[in-house]
Formats: sequence, structure tokens, C-alpha cells
Amino acid sequence: MHELHHPPTPVYWGMTAQELTQDVVQRHASPGRQFWAIAGVLAGLFALGVIGFILLLTQHGVDNRREWGYFATAFAYIFVTAQSAVLVSVALRMAKAHWRRPLARISEMFAAVGLFNFLLLIPLLWVLPPTDGRRSIWFDWPGRSPHLWDTIAMGTLVVLGLAILYFASIPDRAAVRDQAGSEPSTKWRGNVQQWIVLNRGLAVLGGFYFMLLIVVHMLISVDFAMSLIPGWKDSIFPAFHALNGLQSGVALILVTMFILRQTTGLRKYLEVDQFWGLSKLLLAISLLWFYFWWSGFFVYWYGRTPAEQGVLRYIMFETYWVPFFLAFVMCFALPFFILMWNIVRKTTWGPALAGAIVLVGTFFNVLRYYVPAFAVEELSLHSLEHIPTANLPSFIDILVVIGALSGAVLTYMLAARVFPIMSMWELREGQILQRVRKLMKIEVKVLAKPE
Amino acid sequence: MANKNVLGLFDNADTAADATDGLMEVGVNQEDFDVLTGSPYPEGAFGEKTPVHHIYVFPLIGALMGLSVAFLLTSGTQIAYPIVTGGKPILSFPAMTIISYEGTLLGAVIFTILGIIFESRLPRARLDPYDPRITEGYIGLLVTCPEERLDAVDQALRRGKAVDVIHEGGRSFRA
Repeated sequence: MHELHHPPTPVYWGMTAQELTQDVVQRHASPGRQFWAIAGVLAGLFALGVIGFILLLTQHGVDNRREWGYFATAFAYIFVTAQSAVLVSVALRMAKAHWRRPLARISEMFAAVGLFNFLLLIPLLWVLPPTDGRRSIWFDWPGRSPHLWDTIAMGTLVVLGLAILYFASIPDRAAVRDQAGSEPSTKWRGNVQQWIVLNRGLAVLGGFYFMLLIVVHMLISVDFAMSLIPGWKDSIFPAFHALNGLQSGVALILVTMFILRQTTGLRKYLEVDQFWGLSKLLLAISLLWFYFWWSGFFVYWYGRTPAEQGVLRYIMFETYWVPFFLAFVMCFALPFFILMWNIVRKTTWGPALAGAIVLVGTFFNVLRYYVPAFAVEELSLHSLEHIPTANLPSFIDILVVIGALSGAVLTYMLAARVFPIMSMWELREGQILQRVRKLMKIEVKVLAKPE
Repeated sequence: MANKNVLGLFDNADTAADATDGLMEVGVNQEDFDVLTGSPYPEGAFGEKTPVHHIYVFPLIGALMGLSVAFLLTSGTQIAYPIVTGGKPILSFPAMTIISYEGTLLGAVIFTILGIIFESRLPRARLDPYDPRITEGYIGLLVTCPEERLDAVDQALRRGKAVDVIHEGGRSFRA
């Protein structure tokens, strides 16, 4: 057997359903002191972020849009990464990828971060100027249309993500309840009807999450970035924004899995199979990153109108060339170079390293849109008459960004106290449907496909 | 006479599937028993009747309602406040698309959530016999039968190698 082409059989396949349940429930019940120590540090950093937010609000108010660029970046970054990460579980469930089972809940729990991010959207609604007298996708709807409809869209996305998390975790929360010896719930029994409805319902909700996420990417990217920079009217940009979301969502799951593998006892669930599977997706999306960027850039570069040149100079080649360069290298070149080797893809550290690089690159990619967009004062022009100077982060900006990111991670950790981080019922279903069988001189994994 | 519930608990899925044959022999129909499991098994794996559900109807109704409301809102606004822009017609569909799409999805999502709750019968009005070992991988065969046939069902479950038989009200047999 060539070890490069046959990953070892998952350890959890060798466990009984009882052992698996008890193992996961035990870990869920007692996360350990390290967990609370990290949560305490994150809570402290989040508190600093709150102080930064109060300083931002009191010193600059909501009318000085330029000062909110980094706050908007933090909001957009969490949206692009965490809220897109939910899609990983949704898409792999649709594709019936059985290797997804150990990472399903890890992905779905990012829906809780969406709730936190919704809070970050609220102050931005006061900062975002009305669309009156400037180009936008809202035609002649009232000037506050993006404020209303972006909020409804984002709110629906958050509710949808939480619904997926809630329904997908019902059987596991019942298991936690049963193991704790609590009174049986009136909610979940695990009968045939409930399983059928759960599976079908999750598939439908997952489809809607995909449909809505793409549209929210469009709304956020256009209303909070593109329409604020005169002369920028790139039809590929919303799709590029969404693609960056898919890329960083996959990257975020890889990094989260690696951290969980290293710091918790979940090593036997999160094995090379999961990293290998996601690394192939990340490689493909990283290549698409270049394709989408090139498609948008090329038209602007070839067009060479003053409006197009102004946009390119502003967000790519002059004012914000450093974040653009870092984004290009870290979202495309480096992950491509790392993940093009199968021997690296088929490790746990290789895809996680590429994922970490993509996450940093995505931050710079988001920064080069939202910080410049919030720094433009005159919005009614058809092109940038003069290129604004770079808006470098102040101490308050750094506090706000660190606080927002810490708050997002803290939210995820607290959600892990409510929802078991391993989807036990999906793992047990995997045990039922998958076996190792002898095929001549090798052992192979055999999958039952009842559908 | 009123129907009663009895739960047979099995530590093996194959044994539970075989035990349903024994239940049929004592006159229990497919409609009279349910299978309680800690994870989903392929439909029909225990010889149970596949239940009818209407989960796909909910998103459809929700989507239609959401689309209708969004369409009425956008077209009504444009007719009430007519502004000709760039020679475009008053009722311009591109300008209505985003709101219509959002409305459609909002309706579909809300109705799907309600549909899952309704079709899963959550929360349940009454508590049938249950055992926490089901979430550990045990299989429960929950049989509903007239009171006079309880003993026959009980015996069938025992013959089928149930490790526990739990009656409504708490009477239980342990193998």
C-alpha cells in the first residue's frame, strides 16, 4: 500500500457508539482550565476593544467617516471569514462528502460569531452615508435603503446560520442531557420522522444559506466599499468578495481544526483526511482568487479612463499598495506554492499553514477596500479627482480591531460551551455507513450509499 | 380500550431489525412501531414504515409569500412615488430584484424553520417511554398497541433479545 494515496483509517471508526458519545460529552462537560484562561485573556482584549470603540465614538462621532475605516474592516473581515465558514459544512453536506463529519460542527458554530458581527454592523449604519446623489445599486430608492435592506439581509443570514446550528445540534444536546442524567427533554426522541425531517430540513436551510450569503457579500461589498469610491464600478468585485469569503472560510476551518487538534483531545477525530480534503478546496479557490482578481483588474488597466486609473492607483498600486501586495502574496502566491505539493496537502500542518497565511492575507485584502472607501469625502463625483492619502491605523483603530477579533473568537469559544464541538450523531452515522474491507492485499474504506 | 406504548431497547442494530419480524408475527403493523436511534439509519433499515412529511412544502409557501410581499412593496412604492430615471419605465424589475430576492429568502427561511419544528413535532405534547442509552447507540423499538396485547408485544420484544423492555408508566424488564 502506497502510504501517499491511502490515508489511515480514522481512529473513531474503531470506537463503539457508546465510547464516542461518552468521550465527546466528557470533553464538552469539562473543557479544562486552559480553556477558561484563554477565554479570560480574550475577554480582556475584548474589553480593550470596547474602550477603543467608546473613544472612537466620543472623539470622532459618526460623521467623521474616515476614522471608522478600521472598524468597518474588522466588521467586514469577520463577515468574510467567520460567516462564510458556515458554508463549508453546508456545501460538504450537500455534496455528501463523508470526510466532513468531524468538521461539521466546527464549521456550523461560526454562525454564533455572525450574531456578534451583527452587533458590529449597527454602529456602521450610522456612519454609512445615504445614497442620495451618488451611484449605488439602489437606483432611486430612498437614501437609507442600504441601511434597511442590508440589515434585513444580514439579520436573515444570522438567523439562518443560528437555525442551522440549533437544529443540527439538537440530537447532540439531547445526548449531553442524557449523559448528564437529566430529565428527558420533550423535544428530541430520535424517531424516524425526526431524523428524516432534520436531514431534509438541514439540506434546505443549507441551500438558503448559500443563496443568501452570496447576496449579502454583494450588498456589503457594494454598499460599504465599492459605492463609496467614485469611479469604482466593477461587476466582478462582489463575486470576488464572495470568493474571498469562501477561501477564507475554508482557511478558517483548517486553522481552527489544527488548533483544536493541538490543544484538545480531538486528535482522533480531526485527522489527515479532513485536512487533505479541505486543502484541495483551498488550492482550487486560491487559483480562482487570482482569476477573479485578474478579470477585474485587467478591464480597468486596459480601459485607462481617469476613473479607472484613479481606482487602480488608490486601492492597488499607490496609496494602498502594501496591503494589496500582501493580499496578493498571501491569498494567492504563497498558498498556491504550499498547496501545489500533494505531500504537503496530505499533512495536518501544511494546509493549516496555508490557511493561516490566507487568513492574514484576507485581512489585508479587506483592509485595502474598506479603509480607502471610508476615507473618501466627496462621494458624488464620477471619478477620484485627487487620490486621498493613506489612512494609517491609530492607537484607537488597533484597539478596535484587536477587540473585535477577540470578541469573535470569544463568542466562538462560548458557543462551544453550549453546542458540543463534535457532531456526535454525524460521526455515529459515519460509523454505520463506513467500513474497512480487505480488497486482495490491501485494506480499503467501503461506503454504504443508501440514497 | 386505550392504546399503550412499550419500548424495547436493543444494543445492536441487526438484532433490533430482526426483532421487528417478531413484532409482525404477533400482529404489530408497520404503522404501529417507531424506531428511536441516536443517529440516522438508512430509511427502511428496520423494516419500519417511511413516514410522510411535508417539509418541502413549507419553504415553497414561505418563498411565494415573501416574493409576493416584496413585489407588492416595491411595485406599490414605485407606483405611489413615480420617478422617471434615465428614461426607464416606472416599474423597473432590475430595481426590484434585490428586495424581491431578500423577501423571497426571508419568507422561505422563516417557513422552513417553522416547518422543521412542526414536522418534527417539537416540542412533543406527551412523553413516551424513553431510555438515555438511545443516544449512546442503543436502538429503541417503540410499539403502540391496545392494552390487551401488551403482554404479547412484551414477549416478542424479549424473544427478539431486547436488553430492556420499558412500559408506559415505568414498568420495565431487564434482560
